[in-house]
Amino acid sequence: MTLLPPRLLVPVGIFRSIAATHARAFPLSRRLQSTHTHKQPPSTPNYLESADGLISDLTFRKPRHETTPRKFDAQGNELDAYQGGPSAIDKAVHLFFFTEILRGMWIVLEQFFRPPYTISYPFEKGPLSPRFRGEHALRRYPSGEERCIACKLCEAICPAQAITIESEARLDGSRRTTKYDIDMTKCIYCGFCQEACPVDAIVETQNQEYSTETREELLYNKEKLLANGDRAEAEIAANLHSDHVYR
Amino acid sequence: MPSLQRYLRSIYRVGFRAWWRQLNYIGDAKSGRFVGQDQFGNKYFENYNAEEEVPGRQRWVDFAQVHYQASQVPPEWHSWISHIRKDPPTEDAVIAASRQPWQQPWTESLTGTRGAYKPYNTVAPKINAWEPKVSPRA
Repeated sequence: MTLLPPRLLVPVGIFRSIAATHARAFPLSRRLQSTHTHKQPPSTPNYLESADGLISDLTFRKPRHETTPRKFDAQGNELDAYQGGPSAIDKAVHLFFFTEILRGMWIVLEQFFRPPYTISYPFEKGPLSPRFRGEHALRRYPSGEERCIACKLCEAICPAQAITIESEARLDGSRRTTKYDIDMTKCIYCGFCQEACPVDAIVETQNQEYSTETREELLYNKEKLLANGDRAEAEIAANLHSDHVYR
Repeated sequence: MPSLQRYLRSIYRVGFRAWWRQLNYIGDAKSGRFVGQDQFGNKYFENYNAEEEVPGRQRWVDFAQVHYQASQVPPEWHSWISHIRKDPPTEDAVIAASRQPWQQPWTESLTGTRGAYKPYNTVAPKINAWEPKVSPRA
């Protein structure tokens, strides 16, 4: 509080009303009035009248006058004890940069004694969302009938044009795909196909561990996609169930 | 040092043999609750004591095979070990209700082996070579 000039000590809140009514009696407001008022210009705004007690005074931004008087000897030479020494900026740079090194080394030392956050994959795995978009799969209805009706909405919306569909009427007259190919090397895993699908047939499962040794193994056809769905149906359905309230 | 204490405590809990096995696989001494075992013999553990395991290392799997691989975890347990589902599939009612009778057994990724997936065309070829037919002479 000693750093503040006394005219910054503006009573706020309940003190403001007290100071306004008992301007002479209250010691806080007496200090506001007493010590430095004779130095201030007459145009100082009345802070007590401001609504919030905040101060906007450009006189604070004026350069201060020299507080310490310059001393001269008998010949008129200036007496400066710091003549020729390092400047204040030099000393500050040395002080702060050196302590910065020490502070950085201290953080390293702290981390050295803490347990590491390294997850040892594949024994431990990081958290995944039920909305995670991984390997694709084609689902079936609970009766075992395949869901895809070859509407080709996923093929139309696919921004990477990774999906190729051909359809044909089945023997019972229902339209099904004969070719459902996804080029997984083209796929950008945007999830538009599963958003576009009206029957929840094409989904992106949470499986991300399907890396292959050859490129051709990533050119999925319909049988592969259906097999993915047949294996992971419990996980896919549980994830869709946990997310259905947000859709 | 809490980590050394945790290490020695884990050795004391799991025993010397299990610690040696953990040292050969996970590379750390971990102890926790045995949650379950899947159809392939992989064992799943969890330890939610914040003073022993940091977040992300609270659930782990002990693979049955020597040549372990991440895709050896079946999908139901995958959703548990990836923290997608709170309960293991042995206790999860939603997972149990989602299981279908026509589901196929899970196979690990067979890439690099003879069982690897090989793409093929599922439709009849549209362009065929010309097969000359000789009409019989009259």
